[in-house]
Amino acid sequence: MSEWRWRAFKIVQSLVERLPRTWAYALAVMAARVAWWFSPLARPRLEYNLKVACPELTTSGLKELSRLNFRNHAKAYADLMMLPSMKVEAMRPLLHLEAKDLEYLEQARAVGKGVMVVSCHMGSYEVVSAIWSATLAPVSLFAEELEPRALFEWYRDTRARLGISVLPLHLGGLRKVTQALHDQEMVVTAIDRDITGTGQMMPFFGRPAPIPLGPAAIAVRLGTPLLPVCVFRLADDTYSAEAAAPVIAQSTGDARVDEVRVTQQLLRHIEGFIRRHPDQWHVPHRMWEGSP
Amino acid sequence: MKIGLVSPYDFASPGGVTDHVRHLARQLRRLDHAVRIFAPSSRADVDFDTAEFYRIGSPISVPVNDSVARITLSFHLADRVAEIIERERFDVLHFHEPLMPALPITMLRMSQAANVGTFHAFAKSNIGYFYGRPLLEPYLAHLHRGIAVSEPAKAFVNRYFPGFPLKVIPNGIDVSVFHPGHAPIRHLRDERVNILFVGRLEKRKGLGYLLRGYEFMKQRVPNTRLIVVGDGPLRSSVESYISRHRVPDVVMAGYVPDTVLPRYYCSADIFCAPATGAESFGIVLLEAMATGLPVVATEIDGYMSVLEPGRDSLTVQPKSWSELGAALVILARDAQLRTRMGAYGLEKARRYAWDEVASQVLEVYGEARQIRAQREMVRSGEVLNVHDAV
Repeated sequence: MSEWRWRAFKIVQSLVERLPRTWAYALAVMAARVAWWFSPLARPRLEYNLKVACPELTTSGLKELSRLNFRNHAKAYADLMMLPSMKVEAMRPLLHLEAKDLEYLEQARAVGKGVMVVSCHMGSYEVVSAIWSATLAPVSLFAEELEPRALFEWYRDTRARLGISVLPLHLGGLRKVTQALHDQEMVVTAIDRDITGTGQMMPFFGRPAPIPLGPAAIAVRLGTPLLPVCVFRLADDTYSAEAAAPVIAQSTGDARVDEVRVTQQLLRHIEGFIRRHPDQWHVPHRMWEGSP
Repeated sequence: MKIGLVSPYDFASPGGVTDHVRHLARQLRRLDHAVRIFAPSSRADVDFDTAEFYRIGSPISVPVNDSVARITLSFHLADRVAEIIERERFDVLHFHEPLMPALPITMLRMSQAANVGTFHAFAKSNIGYFYGRPLLEPYLAHLHRGIAVSEPAKAFVNRYFPGFPLKVIPNGIDVSVFHPGHAPIRHLRDERVNILFVGRLEKRKGLGYLLRGYEFMKQRVPNTRLIVVGDGPLRSSVESYISRHRVPDVVMAGYVPDTVLPRYYCSADIFCAPATGAESFGIVLLEAMATGLPVVATEIDGYMSVLEPGRDSLTVQPKSWSELGAALVILARDAQLRTRMGAYGLEKARRYAWDEVASQVLEVYGEARQIRAQREMVRSGEVLNVHDAV
């Protein structure tokens, strides 16, 4: 089964890779429409999550939002598929950054203990981190291992081509994260999904959800500043990133309490990002009790 | 000095000569010379401002020397070039592959400056040079001084044009880019011994022999990984070979941008260059050495002009995968040997730094200008001095 999924992915990918960018997006929009109509679980779950994030939405508004969300996600997938053949020179102009956000990054860097970028599953973070790592500074991605294995390896090699190290969420990966931070690098991770199933229940959009404490734990132990960042797509299919003021984890002696406090601080920023760009936050998974 | 660098190859696609021109230009500018580059380009948006880069013609792909050269064949651009030469009044025009159609050879004919030519290519034989000899010789006479990038490249040119004086000035490498200490690609930097290949995936680069050699080695030293950096026409057949033979732990990195390439060198333990011939100079070998990597390479003329076997490298017969595999086994098993060879290479690579190379090139420019001045004197003497005429 998983073997076939990988084959199908590779076939579609090698097709999309050869298409001009606009065509690839057109194909993505079509695929998004099909997926939106026929997905048995993803759409209800996504809509449930979006409703929690933006409770003021009407039914028709929600429907429109989830349609847009699928569309943006499909475009992000197309971006990913085009990544192997993308030229760095062509990529650089696609990313718009504002001075304010770079200022936050500099603040975090000034601490001198590396930077832990905490983000959420939003936008084409693949492309943005690739642009970042190929043109500015090395980036490590602290992310889950996918199934099937071949797909994960493809992901890893594609990112590595542009200088992104992919570190899995286990002990060996953790050791490398420590090393990378020690070498003043940026490590990117997301905290809006509990992948390993070890998250702590805490309020997210006012309702309890399992949230991983890993990034906060690293920050508390190493003194690394945490930088909340989200990336999103602009109307003309270029990308932008938004940062918030870095969170410095102060240790009070009780590690667990510190981790929870810092994570909650981060979550408030992440919530703000999601509220500002709900059409790009694609998490079609169960997050809260009561989700379909 | 006002210097014009002329390259026949597509400036927008990566290649040895293009890189050479780009680096030389940067180094000369650093030394306060005015530099202009002439080259064809398939894209208008190369990372050079138009004031210093003249885009002459658009390139087409021509198969030569088991590879593909992207050159322009637009002879009709002569007028435009003549106009630029007239306006810019160069002190020195430096032609790369001066006998390559159409750009360098056209410009060489009309140049009034001191002309310097650098020969990069090397091959067993060249039909163009052989049959073109009578045609090309008058062009060659326009060159005041010649440079070859290596002894084999020099021997190659002298085979067809004996007696043409050539000075060997090696290719340079940017030691500010290639040095140890870059952040590695972290997931490749584990307890495995990484073998790195860098090059276009085409037949003459010999990746097929490396794959077989790697299989041979993998049975003996399982704790290893092969990283293949580069893209090219053979990519799909390499991939299918890997999946058919179930070769484990091969990472096909694809085309890696220049900004990331040094990090791949820093993620490796052994560098392997299995080319089967037709390499005039091993620029990748120098990049590897500058990063402190020991080298396993084939004994072809171009590589041997850079390597000192036993000190910085192990060398093997070209096309012999078993020898290649054995050399890899030796290095993969012996961490001390790797360190020793790497350290020697690192020391040696400094001699090839661009500032070193550029100062040698400038010396040649000076000689060329002298020769040109002498010839001018003789010529003007013919006209002006009655006694000479008598």
